[in-house]
Amino acid sequence: MELIGLLNYAVFMAIFIGIYSLLALGLNIQWGFSGLFNAGIAGFFAVGAYTSALLTTPESSVHLGGYQLPVVVGWIGAMIAAGLIAWPIGKVCLRFRSDYLAIATIGVAEIIRLVVKSEGWMTGGARGVNKVPRPFGDLSYLYSQLAYLALVIGIVLIVYWAIERQISAPWGRMMRGIRDNEDAATAMGKDIKARRLEAFIFGAAVMGLGGALFAHFNRSITPEAIDPMIATFLIWIMLILGGSGNNRGALLGVAVVWIIWSASEFVTDQLPTEYAIKAKYMRVFIIGLLLQIVLRFRPEGILPEPQGTADNPELKTFQKQEGAAK
Amino acid sequence: MLKKIALAASLFSATALASNAVQADVKIGLLGGISGPIAAMAPPMLDAAQLAFQQVNEQGGILGGQKIEAVVGDSACNPQNGVDSATKLVNIEQVVGLVGPHCSGSVLAVANSVTVPAGITLITPSGTSPEITSLEDKGQVFRTVPSDDFQGRSLARTLLDLGTKKVAVAYLNNDYGSGLANAFKVEFEANGGELAGYAAHEEGKASYRSNLAELSRGGAETLVIFDYGDGTGLTILRQALENGFFTNFLGGDGMKSDAIIRELGAENLTTFTASSPVGEKSDSLESFNEAYKAAGGNPDAIFVSNSYDAAFLMALALEKAGGDAAKVSAAMTAVSNGEGESVGPGEWTKAAELIAAGKDIDYKGASGDLNFNKAGDVPGSYGLFKVEGDAFALQQALN
Repeated sequence: MELIGLLNYAVFMAIFIGIYSLLALGLNIQWGFSGLFNAGIAGFFAVGAYTSALLTTPESSVHLGGYQLPVVVGWIGAMIAAGLIAWPIGKVCLRFRSDYLAIATIGVAEIIRLVVKSEGWMTGGARGVNKVPRPFGDLSYLYSQLAYLALVIGIVLIVYWAIERQISAPWGRMMRGIRDNEDAATAMGKDIKARRLEAFIFGAAVMGLGGALFAHFNRSITPEAIDPMIATFLIWIMLILGGSGNNRGALLGVAVVWIIWSASEFVTDQLPTEYAIKAKYMRVFIIGLLLQIVLRFRPEGILPEPQGTADNPELKTFQKQEGAAK
Repeated sequence: MLKKIALAASLFSATALASNAVQADVKIGLLGGISGPIAAMAPPMLDAAQLAFQQVNEQGGILGGQKIEAVVGDSACNPQNGVDSATKLVNIEQVVGLVGPHCSGSVLAVANSVTVPAGITLITPSGTSPEITSLEDKGQVFRTVPSDDFQGRSLARTLLDLGTKKVAVAYLNNDYGSGLANAFKVEFEANGGELAGYAAHEEGKASYRSNLAELSRGGAETLVIFDYGDGTGLTILRQALENGFFTNFLGGDGMKSDAIIRELGAENLTTFTASSPVGEKSDSLESFNEAYKAAGGNPDAIFVSNSYDAAFLMALALEKAGGDAAKVSAAMTAVSNGEGESVGPGEWTKAAELIAAGKDIDYKGASGDLNFNKAGDVPGSYGLFKVEGDAFALQQALN
């Protein structure tokens, strides 16, 4: 084994962890902070990936486009498109609670997948969109990957910072208030419908950006990528395992699950060759087992949501006043 | 992020240490859709590829007596897992060539982000999307299965030659079905045919009667089905026969499946024909069939001969390139371009001797003559098959 090969693989894993981090952070806004059970991540992922791909590719006889816009425009477009798609969906579906919302969003994701597959004039149908430009794609293998990794890290940091700010702002506290006690929040005069819609659109836009980064990394996007297993449920596992309601937990969950998912293939490959095919299913089993164990022994995740701790100044003042009153 | 990379590095260096215990001589990656939507098709295909490597190893080995070790990866038929697995095969296992992945979407993603940047040659046995032709791949992407364009077009021309001017088309809504149907449609209409119905269907439904009723409304007597005969295609054909929506049926290569004869009975299939690739030198196919049967496989399973050819070609190209991964793509074209002494499936000793003597060889595959063009595609030769007794028999060759 060569060192450069190891490095290439590590960089690749980091890129994928970065892309999945965006999806998990988007889900964290919706589920972690706002309690919206979105089981249609794949749909917003697809909208982002296709929008950015169509905006930036050269002309093709197979699909819409030929705009050849800069990649940055594609990425911003992906966020806007995913947000725009989320708006009517949120308008209709957010009246549902918990599992009903989950069923509705699964349905929406399937609709998006089938539209992508069937409306060939727009998306290239099953052929997908090819020749999507990758920033720094002309460099050699390692440098091209490193440059892309730098871009992904930068974007994840910006998104992370934006979400952290938003969550520690009054908006974030209100969202958690709505999540934990809707009646109390209504009684305080909060517009719950509008706030939930905001969180839903915010999360969807971040997911769309994740999709766009994925399409540009692979220089292509096909409907096969919108598989609910790998683009919805895997992200749920990451967030639950890492700790929903905690952005650092979300990032950690992504890293842990993806590394186990990817590196477990080396372990299963140690089985004798006659089990080579069966061994591949072991990975799916390992991930499922992991989720069961976490849910059983640590339902709040590896890094749980901080509950009224020292870094919450308001709580401190509140406790002080309480103490003074006594 | 740094922490994550450190974590990543420590985690897989631990696992990698374990995998290095057995040092193989020549490693070739074998990437297939083991889990996921084509889980039923993938194992026979991988077995066929393994058979090719086994024959090489038994007949003196590659590059002066070294053994080929196939490292199997799972692409799960989606780009995410395909790229992940290919990255591991290329960087960690350090394979010198890649056979697979099976699904077109994975092929596009893997070629774009792993094998082409890394300078590794890829040959897919079943990626049929026309998009693969136009990849900017520096000539490093090959396939042993013809692009859907070729088959769809030759089928359309043959139908028109036979005097069928009006048909309805039902196709499975994936890259295979829609690619074939699209090519068929373009060629059929350009040459004066009329499509009385043209509709996609999703896989796995219990009933397609409403789809069929809709298609038959156009008044065509012939239904062209682009689907898999051991899946949805069987349901469609059965329901079309039961309800008498159409009289004649024509299928693509996916429909040439024994499951159809077994389930529906040969007596009901007198008006059913299927097109399928045929080897011009049928003794190539026969020697593969025998070897594969002896190894316990079913040679009629879909894409197994393509899979075998892809693996055998990879071995030939490696031998010709002297084990240099950078030269494999040029060697791949050289070992199957129609010039030189013919080599058939399993004839490794003969091929190795010819290569050692510096002579040109031309591999005649089990799935056809192959002969790559500039884009790494094979033109493919097709025949129309009808049901005779309990098996398919060649009716005529397509032009």
